[in-house]
Formats: sequence, C-alpha cells, structure tokens
Amino acid sequence: MAVYKRNYKPYSGELTANWTRFLILPRYSLAKIFDSKLLVGFLVVCLIPFLVSATLIYLSGNPAVRTLLGMQGANFIGINNTFFYYLLRFQSSLAFLITAWIGPGLVSPDLTNNALPLYLCRPFSRTEYVLGKISVLFFLLSLITWIPDIFLFLLQAELEGNGWLIANLPIARAIVLGSLLWITVISLLALALSAWVKWRIAASGLMFAIFFVAAGFGEAFNAVLRTYWGHTINLVYVMNLIWADLFGVPMNISINRRMMDDPRTMTLPLGFAWLVLIGVCGVCLLLLNRRLQAKEVIR
Amino acid sequence: MRPVIELENLEVVLGTRTILKGLHGSLRGRAIGLLGPNGAGKSTLINTLLGFHAPSSGTARLFGRDIRTDIQSLRRLIGYMPENDSFIGDMSGVRFVRYMAELAGLPPNEAMERAHEAFFYVGLGEARYRDLNGYSLGMKQLAKLAQAIAHGPKLLFLDEPTNGLDPPARARMINLIREIRGTEDMHIVLSSHLLRDVEECCDEVLILKDGCIAALSNLEEERKTNKKFLELETAGADPAFTTTLEQLACECASFGNGKLRLILPEGIRIQQIYAAAAENGVQIRRMNYRRDSLEDIFLKAMQPAVGAAANGSL
Amino acid sequence: MAHATDRLIVFENVSKFYGDVLGVNRINLTIGPGVTSLVGPNGSGKTTLMNLMTGLIWPTKGYCRVLGLTAHDPERFFRVVGYCTQFDSFAKGLTGREFIYDSLRLYGLNAQEATVRTNESLERVNMMDAADRKVAAYSKGMRQRVRLAQSISHHPKVLVLDEPLNGLDPMARAESMALFSALGKEGLHVVISSHILHEVDRISDQVILLNSGYVVAEGQIHGVRDEVKEHPMQIMVRCSNPGLLAAKLFAQDHIVEAKIHDDRKGLLARTRDADRFYSLLHQIVLEGELEIDAVAPADDDVNSVYRYLIGSEGATV
Repeated sequence: MAVYKRNYKPYSGELTANWTRFLILPRYSLAKIFDSKLLVGFLVVCLIPFLVSATLIYLSGNPAVRTLLGMQGANFIGINNTFFYYLLRFQSSLAFLITAWIGPGLVSPDLTNNALPLYLCRPFSRTEYVLGKISVLFFLLSLITWIPDIFLFLLQAELEGNGWLIANLPIARAIVLGSLLWITVISLLALALSAWVKWRIAASGLMFAIFFVAAGFGEAFNAVLRTYWGHTINLVYVMNLIWADLFGVPMNISINRRMMDDPRTMTLPLGFAWLVLIGVCGVCLLLLNRRLQAKEVIR
Repeated sequence: MRPVIELENLEVVLGTRTILKGLHGSLRGRAIGLLGPNGAGKSTLINTLLGFHAPSSGTARLFGRDIRTDIQSLRRLIGYMPENDSFIGDMSGVRFVRYMAELAGLPPNEAMERAHEAFFYVGLGEARYRDLNGYSLGMKQLAKLAQAIAHGPKLLFLDEPTNGLDPPARARMINLIREIRGTEDMHIVLSSHLLRDVEECCDEVLILKDGCIAALSNLEEERKTNKKFLELETAGADPAFTTTLEQLACECASFGNGKLRLILPEGIRIQQIYAAAAENGVQIRRMNYRRDSLEDIFLKAMQPAVGAAANGSL
Repeated sequence: MAHATDRLIVFENVSKFYGDVLGVNRINLTIGPGVTSLVGPNGSGKTTLMNLMTGLIWPTKGYCRVLGLTAHDPERFFRVVGYCTQFDSFAKGLTGREFIYDSLRLYGLNAQEATVRTNESLERVNMMDAADRKVAAYSKGMRQRVRLAQSISHHPKVLVLDEPLNGLDPMARAESMALFSALGKEGLHVVISSHILHEVDRISDQVILLNSGYVVAEGQIHGVRDEVKEHPMQIMVRCSNPGLLAAKLFAQDHIVEAKIHDDRKGLLARTRDADRFYSLLHQIVLEGELEIDAVAPADDDVNSVYRYLIGSEGATV
C-alpha cells in the first residue's frame, strides 16, 4: 500500500540534438496547416498543372496514342526549355497565392502575444527561428514547384531516351534554381510582412500590393519617363527576366508588344535584376532582424 | 553551498543609459527575492541573466558558468515566467507547453508527458485543452508557470507571478512556489513589488536601486526577534495605562485605536505588563515582539546611502 | 436643503446583464464618504459595479445614483466622478503631461487652469520629472501613476480605482495608499478594488465583498467578521507550555477547538467569544503558570473573511 504525491522534479533525461531543434517549428506549423481542409484542397489544385503537364509529356512522347485519340499531325507541343519555363511561371503564381495565404500567419501569432521571449529564453536562436519558419514555406512551395517539375523532367527523359537527359541538364538546373530563387524571395517577403504587420489580412493585402501595385507603378513610371528602369520595382518582371535567362528563352516582351521600336522594349540588364532580388532579400532579413528581438528597448 | 548566481562587476548599457552599474555579489539562496523601485534595473538584470542583453563590461555566472560564453547551454537549465502576457493564442494550453518543452530540448514523448504533469501540478484541469486565447488572467498565469517548469529547469525566473490573481489564486501560487522551492537542487529568483510575497517565499533578498545593489541579505538571519520592542493592541487603553507602564520604566508610544509600542527595560516580564493592564481595566488583544520585517530592510535600503560604495555589497 | 442621498452612492435593486451573461444581480448598496474597498474574485462583478458607478454603462434594471446624480445629466455627473481603470492603454504619441492636460481641457477648463491642475496632479503622484516623456517609454508603474493623476486632476468627489497599485513598487504603493487615505479623510468617496487584501485592509473604512454578481457582505470589517458566526474567531498564542494552556481552555464552554503548533511552542484556539478568551488569558498570565511570547487574532481581517465567505471558488478549472 502506498500513497503517491506528485512533486515537481527537474528533468535529467536525454535531450534532442541541437541542430534538429529548428525542425520543431515546421512540424507544428505544418500540422496546423494541414488541419485546414481548404488549404489542403488548394494544394491539391496546385498539383493539377503537374497532372496536365504529365499528360502532355506522355502524349508528346507517344505518337501512337495521339493517333488513337484522333489527333492529326506530327506536330505536337514540344517538351523543351520553353515548356518548362511557362510551366514554372504558372506554378509560381500558385506558389505566390499559397504564400500570401499562409505566410502572414507564421510569425504574427508569436508576436501578437509576446511569445518571442519564451522562444529565446530556451537554447534556441533567432536564426533557428527564421530557418524553422521559412522551412514551412520551402517545404510546401517545393511540393508544388520544382519537385513535381523534376519528376516531369525525368519522365520526359525516360520517354525520349537517347541521351536527352544529359543534353538537357541545363533545364533541370534552371527548374531547381529558378524555383528556389522564387521561393526564397516570396518566403522572406511573407515572413518580414508577418513580423511587421499584425493583422493577417492586411499582411496578405500588402503582399499583393508589393507585387501588383508596384508593377503598375513601374509601368506608369516607364510610360511617363520613356525608360525601362521602372521595371526595377516590378518583381514579377525581374523574376521573369532571370528565369528567361536560366532557361535560355528569349525574354517575353508581350507586355509591351505594341511598342516594338520603343526603348522600353529593351530589357533591364540581367546583373541588375539579380541585384534587385538580392536587395529585396537583404531588406527582408534586415526587417526580420529588427523585429525579432526578445526585448525591445524604447528610448 | 555553491552560489547559484555570481555577479562580477556586471555592467549593462541600453541605448545611451547605463542601467546596471557594476553589480557585484553572489547569491546562494533557494529562493532569491529581487526587489527595487521602478527603474532600478530588476527587469534588465533578469533579461541579462537570460541572455537577452549582452553585458557591456563585467559578467555574471549561473551555476559557475559564464553567461557570456555558455548562455545557450545554460538556457536548458533555466525557466522563465515573464511578467507580461506571453503565449501563442491559437494553440491549446497543452500544445503550447509541449511545444515550449520540445524547444528546450526534450524529446517529443517526454515533452508530452511533462506538459501534462506540469498542468496537473499547477492545477489546470480540463482547461488545458482549450485555446489560450480563451483563458482568463489567472489561467494564463498558471499556463505561464507550466511552460516555465515543464522542461525541468534548475533555475526559475518568476517575474511578478501573482500579478492580477485573486486572493485564493494568489495563495495557491505562493504555495506552489514554496513547494517548488522545497525540491532538491531547485532555485528560484522571484521578482515582485509585493513585499509580502517575497517575505513568504524567499530566504535571500537582493534589493536594487538605481542600477546598484542597495542590499543583499539573508532573510533568515535578518529576521531576528528583537526582545526589546513590544507591540500591543488593546481595548480600553487610556493615559492611565500608559502612566502605569512608564512607572515600570518602559518607554511608551501610543498610535491611537489602542495600539501601543513599548521599549522594555532589562529584566521586565510579560506578566508585569499584564498586571498593569489588569490594574487599569485594559484588555490586551494582541501582543508580540517586534521583528525586523522585509519592509524594514527594504526601507532602510531605500534611504540615500551616505558615502556608500557603488557596489553596496555585503 | 441637501438630501442625505446627496452624499451617498446608492445602488437600488440594480441588475446588469450583457446579453445572457451576468454582470451583477439585484444589488442594493449604499456607499458613504471615506475609503471603501471592493473585493471579490475575477468575474464577480467588480468592474461592472465600477462601470455603473462611473456612468459608463446603464443598469438593465434598477437605479444607480452617485451623489444624487445619474449619467442622464452628463454635464454634472462626469465632473463629479473620477475613474482610474485597470486597462493600460493610451493614445499613441502622447506624453504624460499631454495626456492629463488634454483630458482637463475636455472638461472645459481653460489653458491656464488646465496647466495648473496638470502640474498639481503630477506632483501628487510624483511624476513631475518624467511628465514630458512619451507614455510609451514609461514603465508599468509610471503609466499607472499617470492614470491615477488623470483621474484626480479634475478634483472629483467620487474616485473609483480599479487595481490602482498594479505595477507599483513598494514605496509607490505606500505613497498611493497614503494618498487614498488622505483623500478619504478629505471627504471624497474613494472606492478601491484590489486583490491585495492586506493593503486595502489597512486604510479601508468599509468593505464590500462580491461573488458571482452578488453582494456577499458589506460594512466595517470587524462588524462583518463578527457576523460570520459559522467560523468562530481564531486566536494564536505562542507560549512555553501549550498543553497546559489547552487544558485550561477546554474547561471553558466558549472554546471550540485548540490546535497545537507543529513546533509545540504555541497553539491556535477557536472561540465563540473573543472577549472571554482574552480575559481568560489575562487571568492565566497573572497566575504565573505560563510564559507567553505572543498573542494575535488570526482571522480578523479581510483575507479571512474572504476565505470564509467566498472560499476558493473561481479556482481550478
């Protein structure tokens, strides 16, 4: 016979490895995110381009099937760098939507009720915090951009055979690099906004504004001053430029197709485009650094 | 006993102001009270020991290890209950505490077990499954305490733990703190404006003033009974009673409402006081020797120091 | 001719519901001048009562009159009442001085008078030095003092204070309590709500205990204590021979219980008649059989009355 009294006891058992700690954040965030049926549904919808592309690739590699389906002509859509380029561009807009939806909700709940000191009074650094949060977006966005795209690439390589893979490795590189670049930029932007704007809807709205309103201003700037430097604040343009370079596709100047002889059809220098992206990332990191502090010192 | 916290000329500058001016001393108590007027640097000291602010010169040691170099591994042994609201609104209580315990290094299973244990210990039952957003103030305080102890730290920083709690909740929190203090190998730093809380829980007290140490005392030793002073509360006391007492060579001060304070001469016995009361038809309702309470220690410390060193340590 | 009610705060059968949620139910109270403490668990209706007293909400039923006035007559009512809430919010960008000055101007004072009164109230709470810094940079205690200053700046006759000592260091607490006591002696109706019972105990003339929206007890604390007959008075005695004392006590019929302290150097007695107990103790001491070290009533304060009447409800959830 015994009477048990539960007292406080310090912990002296084993601990998890230090470097894995940041993974705790995505584990919890993703669990919460996957709770939302709406979001899961949207993620599934984002995989539709993958399915459509897979079908197209299959059809392209199987003329016999095409004949069976009654499709005339030997010419079908070419599975080349242009194909993957346009696929990535489409997927990136879906990625943007997901980020605008989830991103603002990542950091702001921690700041709203002052939970950050609790994170930081544990063996956990601000860097690990940002890494943890950003990995949520990296994971989800990768799921709908370069991961399925690499599958498609491999599918095409399988169907073509004959060294198609080796010859088109640059496309794979473009897919991965282009996706990661885009993921990095919009994730950092979303985190920075989440840290500075308390209201989630406002933060989402701000994300849209940064992309589309700024683009509008950029175009207006170009029109008024008859130049192309307005494109600097047009992040979509800048990203397209870099992707076009990565995939080796001529820059789509359909934006200003009307003015073929206009200096504005000239594109921004590539190096400058890279500078813009790096600059945006840098600013976001600065903003995060400023906001994510355990204790704010007010003068 | 090895000191828990050692301050070695700790200086902390925030912005342009020097908040902590060369604190020096060592603290060994089981429960250490941290007191001081607003702006004395209490919060800054706690934040520095937690590693949120870097010292501009000097350093501090926790369990013998330097906070300037070892703070990341030290944090594993520290629990912090902030003064302000501190939680993640859209999580349930259990999820939140589990999360925090995992971040402190516990494996997921252990974290789950200890989170529930912590909730049981602080006295939150079914409410642990509800979102923190819906918690009342008292419940939020308990949740804050739960997250501070779930990962089993050896040093707890409690900043105003009874803030906003109604009297029974406050009594329970004080009891909890005393229970935790009684655990072996456990140390608590309690920062509070309520002298009574500190008096009930702490055995050592650090009083800050203007960024310097105004007093560092061991309460057990300080609370000596002073057999010279006697405090009385009476019914029916009148000047005649005072006269009788003075005839016994006592010095008498009357505070109205029958409250009296006496300075007793050598060799006098309580029986004589009672005899004097009986003589004058006075009923004694309260009688005790005066003890130096924390309030006295605190007030003494707040008086402007005359030629005292900036460190003011013992 | 001034009616008696012109000097009182009166609640007449007041109930307040927020939709289905109960604020207070069938309250009948009269509050006179001096310091009255309002005590009760969180959610017991203290804030509702204070909001009713300061005209911020209307009762669902019944009347609430402050010095004969109601909020139907805002010009006169709001001049008479001062409220220091528990909420720590300020308009952005203000300094402490501006905060008080602006509110005084809203009362219709001209610039010069407002400045004088601002300085006066800042002096009273010891905030002159920091008055020109932004409120956002203040510590919690400083913000509390500024709020206090604002509530007394227009010289109200009724001062309602919700947890006014929150965040104040021990010296500021003592100073504020002295201020409230002084204001009470000046004839103001000072109503203080606080959880730190031993502090308000020291300066209150009256106490009101609330629980779950009802008034559980009100009046002078000793009177209230006397009325709680289910809990006999507890008196603590430290002495050399508690056993002997206990034996003598048990011979008396008014003694209900005697519990010896753990260290066997004292006991805690429960008696239905404190008077006779003290007389008995006198006798015992004079007979010389016992040396006593200390005598003290153990539950003649707000804390104990709270415990007996309200208990630890609203506790573990």
